[in-house]
Amino acid sequence: MSKKPTAGPALHKVIMVGSGGVGKSALTLQFMYDEFVEDYEPTKADSYRKKVVLDGEEVQIDILDTAGQEDYAAIRDNYFRSGEGFLCVFSITDDESFQATQEFREQILRVKNDESIPFLLVGNKCDLNDKRKVPLNECQLRAQQWSVPYVETSAKTRENVDKVFFDLMREIRSRKTEDSKATSGRAKDRCKKRRLKCTLL
Amino acid sequence: MTQSMKEFDDFNFSVDKYTKELTRECVGGSDLQQRKKEIEAYSEQTSATLKQTCKRNYMKFIETAKEITHLESEMYQLSHILIEQRNILASLTDGKTSSNLKAESVEADNATTEDLENSHATRAVKEMVQGFNGNLEGKTFLNEGALIELDPNDYRPIQRVFFFLFNDVLIVCKVKHDKRLEFLSEYDPKKIAVINIRDLDGVKNAISIITTDGSKMYQSITAAGKSEWIEKLNEAFRFDQLKKTKKGPAPQPPTRVKQQPKSETPPPSHSPAEPKSLEDETPEWVSTASEEIQTLIAQRHFEDAQALIKRTQDYLRLNNKLPSATIIERKVKEQELKLTNVLLKELSNSHNRNLQIALRAVKRPLKILVEMGRFRQASATLLKVCTVSLRVAQREARRNNAEISELFFCDLTQVACDFLNAFEEQPACVSALVVWCNAELQYFASQLIKHYLTKGTALEAVAKCVERVRKPSTKLTEIGLDISYHLEGLLRTTLESLIEESKQRLLDTVGRTEESWQPHNLHTKSNLKRMLLELDSLGIDVRAQTTGDTWINLTQSTVVFIRHFLQLTEHCACLAKCETLLQSLELLLRDLFVAQHALKPPSDMAVDPNFVMKNKIFLVDNLLPIAIEKFRHISGRQCDSLRELQTKLARQQGAPLPKQRSVYTTDVF
Ligand SMILES: Nc1nc2c(ncn2[C@@H]2O[C@H](COP(=O)(O)OP(=O)(O)O)[C@@H](O)[C@H]2O)c(=O)[nH]1
Ligand SMILES: [Mg+2]
Repeated sequence: MSKKPTAGPALHKVIMVGSGGVGKSALTLQFMYDEFVEDYEPTKADSYRKKVVLDGEEVQIDILDTAGQEDYAAIRDNYFRSGEGFLCVFSITDDESFQATQEFREQILRVKNDESIPFLLVGNKCDLNDKRKVPLNECQLRAQQWSVPYVETSAKTRENVDKVFFDLMREIRSRKTEDSKATSGRAKDRCKKRRLKCTLL
Repeated sequence: MTQSMKEFDDFNFSVDKYTKELTRECVGGSDLQQRKKEIEAYSEQTSATLKQTCKRNYMKFIETAKEITHLESEMYQLSHILIEQRNILASLTDGKTSSNLKAESVEADNATTEDLENSHATRAVKEMVQGFNGNLEGKTFLNEGALIELDPNDYRPIQRVFFFLFNDVLIVCKVKHDKRLEFLSEYDPKKIAVINIRDLDGVKNAISIITTDGSKMYQSITAAGKSEWIEKLNEAFRFDQLKKTKKGPAPQPPTRVKQQPKSETPPPSHSPAEPKSLEDETPEWVSTASEEIQTLIAQRHFEDAQALIKRTQDYLRLNNKLPSATIIERKVKEQELKLTNVLLKELSNSHNRNLQIALRAVKRPLKILVEMGRFRQASATLLKVCTVSLRVAQREARRNNAEISELFFCDLTQVACDFLNAFEEQPACVSALVVWCNAELQYFASQLIKHYLTKGTALEAVAKCVERVRKPSTKLTEIGLDISYHLEGLLRTTLESLIEESKQRLLDTVGRTEESWQPHNLHTKSNLKRMLLELDSLGIDVRAQTTGDTWINLTQSTVVFIRHFLQLTEHCACLAKCETLLQSLELLLRDLFVAQHALKPPSDMAVDPNFVMKNKIFLVDNLLPIAIEKFRHISGRQCDSLRELQTKLARQQGAPLPKQRSVYTTDVF
């Protein structure tokens, strides 16, 4: 009955951010349970955990599905702090939600204080292409400015749902190995980070 | 001997001292040998007792765990019932407030109970919590309760805590062993972030709270308790906002002023009698009826609107010679259509994740629509509303690891009862209900298949799952819905492939383990006893085969097979309660038996052929009849394949040996 050392599979912490109604919960539930939820119910903050196989290695993903509402902005910092990677979601049928990603991005960078935090810009509801309000090239441009990947998904048809979660986990994983190398070896990683920042500027 | 062994139990036992004394006491090697044997025997005995104790405790542990889950589910149900009751009470008070007269007194009541609660909670904190000196004057009490703090790494309980939540402070106390509360910390609810942990390795009812001191995980005893905490913490978070908005609309009295329109509508008595004296003049109430109806609909006085439509139509039918009759009739017809649409909209908006609430909400529009004769549309919309509730409930239950079958059938029954109450006399509607039930059943079955009957599920789990579905589904026959057959049909292909897959898996394991073709030695008496008891509980007695203290005169593989085969027979028989699966289940049992029966030692192994034969004979003469009877007893069906197999194999053995067989097989041929 002694305490087991909780080695277990690696745990990657992902946070869903974005305005309300863009499909954060729908993407999460599709990934977790393979089902599309039609009814819209504002989330407060729900967490999920699941074992998955990432490139042949068993890992755990922890998904925190957050609220998009304004009045939570003040405590969002608290949630963001624990995240290791972010899926920043907007709906391609809603320009306001696209504009809002800017604010989320800034808040994340401020809280995490790290320009190269694993991050994906996700344009959801791509099954509604006929109602598209945000042109594809604008999305790509923004992603380019931020140096992050841009992926379009549909929680309804499951298109790219696995992809965004797995791509993000891969980034988180490589960040972690990089970091551990840095701490065990030299602080040469810091140079790398700085270099990244330079290319950004 | 026990005397000398006692020394081992001594607290101050020293190995050196014991060995020295032993060597001093003993004369010669043989004596020492003898002592050694005794000690070894004692050691074996001790380890056996240890094992037994271990097992006993383990069984106790399992029993208790079972009991706890049982209690937990009861508690869960209770809390659900309580919430239900609270909702009903709330809706009752709602009804009260709408009648203006009582409104004030109710409000006053509310205010005093609120004050009472506040002062009660404030006193409780002062008296019970050691080490808390904060001032609670003027605060609004929101919630209190015990929670368990969990280790966020391995979800193990760390300590029991107690929360008091006021509008602007959350007080966290530790529950000490003497049940007293010790103040730990206080937080500002506006700086707390709450996470609802929906799915975490089966940890139930947990939330995570991020405060200025970092993140902590707490577990509530019930699911209802957890949602209440999330709600209340959120209420505290928005308390100032809520207060402001509450004050806004409060002074406006409730909008429904029901009496007023009634006085405007004509007294009901004067419709058929009076028009005669007025001959061709249309009474005013008739000519203005359509506008009046329109107003009533807009004010949501649907019952009155419907009554007026009916009255006008009745009047026009009796006085169809009036010049304006056709125009008015057309206008009223338009309004009638509009009312229908409004009500249907109302009906379809009643959907709610909670079926009870949805069913309560549909009552009013449903009743009027039925009175208007709109059975078809009303029943179709009602069923759509129910679909939403049913499916949401299933998903929620699954995510909370709760039992979905019972829930589903319970909900289905409820819908069916309510539906039949409303539409009993409408055969077309009743058949719509049947169609709907089948559709819901199909969805339910697809969920079962997707989440509970996945590839690779063991037969035991499959049997349990199917059993849980069948029982409540036969109950529905009591209210005249026979869906069992349909359900079996929906599950059939999946179950068949699961059975087939299990069969392959089981057949693959036959003969896999190394076999020495020697009698099975269980090494200790207690092991043997345990094995015998276990086989007893499965319905077979092999005591006649035991020799010595620890031997069974059959191979190990035979003994293991006996146990496994009888367990499997139980599961298969359980599944075979439905005839469509009977054949594949029979085949599974038969093929498995044949495979085991055909096992023989490798040709280069020196084995007594009589012993090999003995094993085979035991399988055919002892195991098979018991399995056949077990199958029949549980499933209520004969397992013909096994019976044929028995006759065939018995014939092969040549010697008739009709010892116990006669009871079971005389009826063949
Ligand atoms: N057509 C379509 N609808 C979606 C998609 N994702 C979400 N929705 C719908 O959009 C609404 C809001 O989704 P939800 O996940 O609750 O948004 P959240 O507030 O970001 O969590 C729901 O009614 C969903 O059914 C999508 O990819 N395609
Ligand atoms: Mg959401």
